[in-house]
Amino acid sequence: MKLRRSMLFLPGANAAMLSTAFVYKPDSIMFDLEDAVSLREKDAARLLVFHALQNPAYADIETVVRINPLNTPFGLQDLEAVVRAGVDIVRLPKTDSAADVHELESHVERIERECGREVGSTKLMAAIESASGVVNALSIATSSCRMIGIALAGFDYVMDMQTERGDGTELFYARCAVLHAARVAKIDAFDVVYSDVNDEEGFLKEVELIRRLGFNGKSLINPRQIELLHNAYAPSEDDVDYAQRVIAAADKAEKEGLGVIALNGKMIDAPIVDHAKRVLQKAQASGVRK
Amino acid sequence: MSDEIVFYTTDPHANVAEGAEIRQLLAQCDLDFEESIGQFVLGRHGRSLVACAGLDGNIVKCVATAPGYRGESLSLKLMSEVIHLALECGHLHLFLYTHPKNVSFFEGCGFYELAEVPGYVSLMENTPVGIKGYCGRLQKKREPGAKIGCIVMNANPFTLGHQYLVRLAASQCDWLHLFVVREDVSRFSYRDRFALVQSGVADIPGLTLHHGSEYMVSRATFPDYFFKEKGIVGDCCTAIDLLLFREYIAPALGITHRFVGTEPFCATTRKYNNDMKHWLQAADSDAVPVTVVEVPRTACAGVPISASEVRRLLRAGDMAHVESLVPRNTLNYLTHNDYVT
Amino acid sequence: MKIVKEAVAGTLESSDLLVKVAPLADDKVDLVIESEVMRQFGAQIRKVVEETLRQLGVRSGQIVIEDKGALDCAIRARVQTAVLRGAECKEMNWSALS
Repeated sequence: MKLRRSMLFLPGANAAMLSTAFVYKPDSIMFDLEDAVSLREKDAARLLVFHALQNPAYADIETVVRINPLNTPFGLQDLEAVVRAGVDIVRLPKTDSAADVHELESHVERIERECGREVGSTKLMAAIESASGVVNALSIATSSCRMIGIALAGFDYVMDMQTERGDGTELFYARCAVLHAARVAKIDAFDVVYSDVNDEEGFLKEVELIRRLGFNGKSLINPRQIELLHNAYAPSEDDVDYAQRVIAAADKAEKEGLGVIALNGKMIDAPIVDHAKRVLQKAQASGVRK
Repeated sequence: MSDEIVFYTTDPHANVAEGAEIRQLLAQCDLDFEESIGQFVLGRHGRSLVACAGLDGNIVKCVATAPGYRGESLSLKLMSEVIHLALECGHLHLFLYTHPKNVSFFEGCGFYELAEVPGYVSLMENTPVGIKGYCGRLQKKREPGAKIGCIVMNANPFTLGHQYLVRLAASQCDWLHLFVVREDVSRFSYRDRFALVQSGVADIPGLTLHHGSEYMVSRATFPDYFFKEKGIVGDCCTAIDLLLFREYIAPALGITHRFVGTEPFCATTRKYNNDMKHWLQAADSDAVPVTVVEVPRTACAGVPISASEVRRLLRAGDMAHVESLVPRNTLNYLTHNDYVT
Repeated sequence: MKIVKEAVAGTLESSDLLVKVAPLADDKVDLVIESEVMRQFGAQIRKVVEETLRQLGVRSGQIVIEDKGALDCAIRARVQTAVLRGAECKEMNWSALS
C-alpha cells in the first residue's frame, strides 16, 4: 500500500528545481514535460528528466512523468526516454477514453521489451481533463492492470464544461465521478492543483474537502504545500490510538487462529482493519495532526 | 504559478503599446529607448512589465529590471532568454555595452569585458574565447621585424589613393598588415571590396592582406548610437574600437605603426584619425603605444583622391573623372556591375 | 555526431549551465569551461563533459560552457541537448545517451 498524498509538479525544463526537489520529500514527484515546458524547450526538458530519473537522489522517491499527449510530435519521444530511464509511473494527460490508455500501454510494452525492462513494471496513471474523460472515468480506471491512479485536472475540464474555477461547485460532479471510478478499480484518486500558492487558507479548505470526499491526495505546484497537505492528512491522536487497538486485536485473533476479530466486545471486519492500517501508515509518515 | 515571471519577445515598433511600456521601464532605470532595437525580450509578472532587454543585431542593449524586482535570478533568466532569442535570429556571438559599474553583473551572465573607457562605457562579449581565439589566429600570421605597420581600410571602393598609401606604408616598414573592414553596410559589398583590394595590392611586396573582423571598425566596436543622445560624442565614440586595436590586435601581430591617409572630405573619418592619435598613443593603457602615421593623400589634378569622391562622381555619372582616380581592376568592376549610370 | 550549426542549451540560472556549440573547420574539439565552482569541481565537470561528448561521437566543434554549479545529470542533459540541436539530430538513440 503506497502512500500517495502529495504529488509535486516540477517543470521539466528547470534544471535548478530538478536538482533539488528530492529534498522536499513529497510522496511522489511528477516531472512535467507537457504544459510547463515551452515548445522551444521540449527536447531540453526531455533530456533533463531522462537524466534526473537516473540520478541516485531520486532512487528512493516515486517518480512520475507527465508526457505530452501521444498525438503531438513530442509524446512518443517523451515515452521512449522516460520508460528507458526507469520512471515508476507515466502520467497520460487529456485522457478521454480507455482507448487512450490502451494505445499508451502498447507503446510502453514495446519499449520495455526493447530496452530490457521487465514488462509491466512501468505503471500508468491517467489525467482526466474533459467531460468525456469524466463520463468514461470507470472504463479508464479499469483499462489496464498497470493503472495505479486517476487524477482530475481542473483547468481544461472547466473550459470543456463552459465554466470557470470557483469555490469547487464546478468540480463537484467530476470529483465524485473520478473518485468512484478509482474506488471501483481499487486505484488511487488525485485532486486538482491549487494554483494560488500564497493562499494558505484557501488551500487548506480545499484539502479538507477532498480529504473528506476520499481522495488519496492532490497534485501540488509548490513545495510549501507539501507539509500543509501531509499534516491535513495526518490522523488525530484518537484515530491512531483506536487504529493501534484494532491492529492489536487483529494480530491477537490471527495468532490464536480465531476466525473473528473482536474489540471491546464488538466484531471487527476486514475494511476496518484495512482502514486502521492506512491510519497507522499516515501517522508513521507524518505524525499526528497538529 | 502566479509567482512566475513569463518571458516572451516583442517588436517594439509593431506593438506600440508595449513600446510605450518599455520606454517607461527604461526611463525608471535611467536608460533611453533606442530606435534601432528590433526585438525586445520582456518579462511580465502578472500584467506588469518587470524586465526587458533589447537586441540590435548581435548587440544587446537596454537591459533593465524594474526596481523592486532586482535580484540575480530575474536578470539571469532574462539574459538566458536573450541568448536563446539571439540564436533564433542567427547570432551566437553577442556584444554588450554597459556602464563599467555593471561589468561584474554581466560577467555573471557569461559576458567578458573587452575594453573600457573608465567612467563611461565598457564593451563585453558573451564568450571567453572570442577575442582570445581571434588574436591566437592573428599571432600565427606574425612577421619578423622592428617596424610593423598596419592599415585598416574600408576601400569603398579601392582607389589609387588606397594603393598609394599601401605602397608607401609597405616601403617604410619591415612588414605591413592590411585589413579590410568587414561590416557590410557600405555601398559595395565586403566580398567585392576585398577582391578589389586583393588585386590592387597584388604586386606590392612585404604585406599580408587580412579579412576584417567584428573587433575592428564594426557595428559592435563603434557604439556611436550609445552616445549620440547623451551628448558625449567626444572621444568615447571611437575609443572602444581603438582600444581594442591597441590592446589586442596590435600586440597579437606586433604592430608598431598604424598608417592612415589624411581626410579632406569625410568628417567622421577625419575625427577617427584624430582620435587615433589620442587612444593609440597618448591615452593611459597597459598596452604599448602604437605610433600613428598620417600620410597626406595623393592628389589627382590638385584634388586629393578619396573613395567618397569616387562615389560622388559615380552618382553624378562622371565616369571620365572616376577613371583617373581608381586602378584598372576597380574601373572594370565599376563598369561591369552597372555602377555607372 | 557532427555539429553543423551553432546551437545553445540551458540557462545561466543557479544550478544550471549554458552550453554553446559551433562547428569548427579543424578536426578537433575545442572545449572551454567556465564555472563558479571551477576550483573545487573543475576537473569533475570537464570529465563529465568529455565523457558525454565521447558518447555522442563528437569529434569536431567549439564547445563553450558557463556552469552555475549544476549537478552532473544536468551537465549531461545540457551538453547532449546542445549537441543534438547543433547536429540537427532528430532520431534519438536513447541507449547511447544514458
